[in-house]
Amino acid sequence: MFHWIWKSLFKQPGSLTGSALGIAFAFILVIFFDAVWQGESEQIIAYPDNVKPDIWVMQSGVSNMHMASSFVWDWKADKIARIPGVKQVTPILYLNNVITAGETKMFAFIVGLLPDAQRAGPWSMSAGRQIKNSGEAVIPDILSNLTGVNIGDQLSITDKTFTVVGLSSGTYSSANAVLFVPFNDLEDILSSTGTYSYLLVDVDDGINAKTLAEQIRYEVDKVNVLLHDEFIRNDFSLARQMGVEVIIIMTVICSVLAALIVAFTSYSLVMSKRQEIVIIKALGAKNRSIFFSVIFQSGLVTMFGFILAVVFAIFIIPSIPMLVPQLTLIVSMSSLLQLGVIAFVVAILGALLPTHLVLRLDPAAAFHV
Amino acid sequence: MPSPVLNAKHISKYYGSGHTKVRAVNDVSLEIQPGELMLIMGPSGSGKTTLLSMLGGLLKPSQGSIEIEGINITQLKESKLPNIRALKIGFIFQTFNLLDALTVEENILFPSQLRADSSGQAKQRANELIQQLKLEHRRRALPQTLSGGEKQRVAIARALINEPKLILADEPTGNLDSQTGQDVMMILHDIAKDHGYAVIMVTHDPRVEDIADRIMWLEDGALRDRKSETHQWARDPVCGMRVDEWKANNKFEYKGEHYVFCSQRCRERFERNPAEYVGIKK
Repeated sequence: MFHWIWKSLFKQPGSLTGSALGIAFAFILVIFFDAVWQGESEQIIAYPDNVKPDIWVMQSGVSNMHMASSFVWDWKADKIARIPGVKQVTPILYLNNVITAGETKMFAFIVGLLPDAQRAGPWSMSAGRQIKNSGEAVIPDILSNLTGVNIGDQLSITDKTFTVVGLSSGTYSSANAVLFVPFNDLEDILSSTGTYSYLLVDVDDGINAKTLAEQIRYEVDKVNVLLHDEFIRNDFSLARQMGVEVIIIMTVICSVLAALIVAFTSYSLVMSKRQEIVIIKALGAKNRSIFFSVIFQSGLVTMFGFILAVVFAIFIIPSIPMLVPQLTLIVSMSSLLQLGVIAFVVAILGALLPTHLVLRLDPAAAFHV
Repeated sequence: MPSPVLNAKHISKYYGSGHTKVRAVNDVSLEIQPGELMLIMGPSGSGKTTLLSMLGGLLKPSQGSIEIEGINITQLKESKLPNIRALKIGFIFQTFNLLDALTVEENILFPSQLRADSSGQAKQRANELIQQLKLEHRRRALPQTLSGGEKQRVAIARALINEPKLILADEPTGNLDSQTGQDVMMILHDIAKDHGYAVIMVTHDPRVEDIADRIMWLEDGALRDRKSETHQWARDPVCGMRVDEWKANNKFEYKGEHYVFCSQRCRERFERNPAEYVGIKK
């Protein structure tokens, strides 16, 4: 029976290819949107994830960075710096705002850096240099590509103009770009003085970050103190709620589409074999054997489609950002495995209806085939 | 007398009920012994295929009982019937019904794979059948490349692979030209006479009448006396089949006598040893 199913599939290579391609297309959509989801999820928290202090200190009631505002008095940074076990405190000023680069207006996370900041700036430069003087900015290289604003060109944040002196890499996502400007300039824009937004606290070697965080909470009033992992978790969660959920919805829609394509393909394949199934029933094939053969056929075609989709995911998807640089795509092995399981379940479910129909076929019809 | 391979008693098949009730087969009884070749003839719509479907365990009769090798298949659960069909019955269809994706050899072997005790013996048996039915050169061919006669020979081999005692053939010559049809009929004749199979054949082909042991005439669902038809045929000295002398392609002259044959197969047999057949009154 399985031999017959196997040979029947390969007897019609056009039909098999069409079915496998249809299924592969559906799976590619799912993998693609999942890769976008994974990529954007990673990229949207790229700044906190890369600067990676041991402890984040922010205004009480604030627990993340994405779309948040936080103000912490500057003297609190000095107080924290004096706590034993604190290696370094790096204050930053932070603003979510719309920037104008060339003809383009887009939403950005703007980080204000003190002149002597040892960390908290761009972690990878693709061109130019870091900011040194007032009125300078480092922007993402992808933003530069998209807007045509290059080193030496100008961009504006509210009513203030900045000159681009460097291009950073890994600082762009379609939801936001991370820009770096001098602390004083951002202070100017915010019309604030004597405050920071976040304090990035590094602990001395051998000091337990959790214990030190407790100590900071105890000694400094009206601040929220979070370990890096906790802060990232909060940021990721909020970012997902605000932007990435659209991608999740797209992924769900594609998954449903994939399920429908697999189901339809299974249905078509089984129904195209209806006459021969009548014959093998007449010859003495049991319903159970036919059932498993049909499931096997559906699973086989789905597997071919899945393999095609995985090959595409591994070899083609990673090169898409070269053509569309604003997209960050991450194909994870766990997602592919997850999709494999879903594909298997969908294949079985897709085969159930046609199987149910063929099992009811009358073997006596073999005399009229 | 050996016990019958098939024993059907008072079987009927009704469709619908009340005023719309249609009797497709009405109170038919028949039995067939090993080595017997039975024809079921009758006009179109007389219920021949319905009767054959019931005898083959493909359709449950509304009334009556059918025993195959002593097993009452009308009392069996639906789930047990496939096993009976696979092991006890060989089917030959008018449209051959070969599986397109499988080669000649694979088609022949297919029913053997439906057996629970499928073994390497099936392969050996398939080889024998392939030789017996002169299909050696087509062993790896796909059905679409075969002639009608070859397809039907494959279907016959497939019906015989599990060595069932009962062969049911529905118009086995219906899609074949006259010469090929005669060859196929002779094969069916031989498997009954030489190998002891019980063969029930539904056909419209009057040439088969001469090689049949019994002819049943089915009309309006009921078995009746066979209508007589007047034919002027010459007799094939090998199989006894009547052959139209004017149309016969296979002729042979022996000791000044002209002989006509239903098929090349019979002529070849005759040529090998004419003395065996000359002088025998058929």
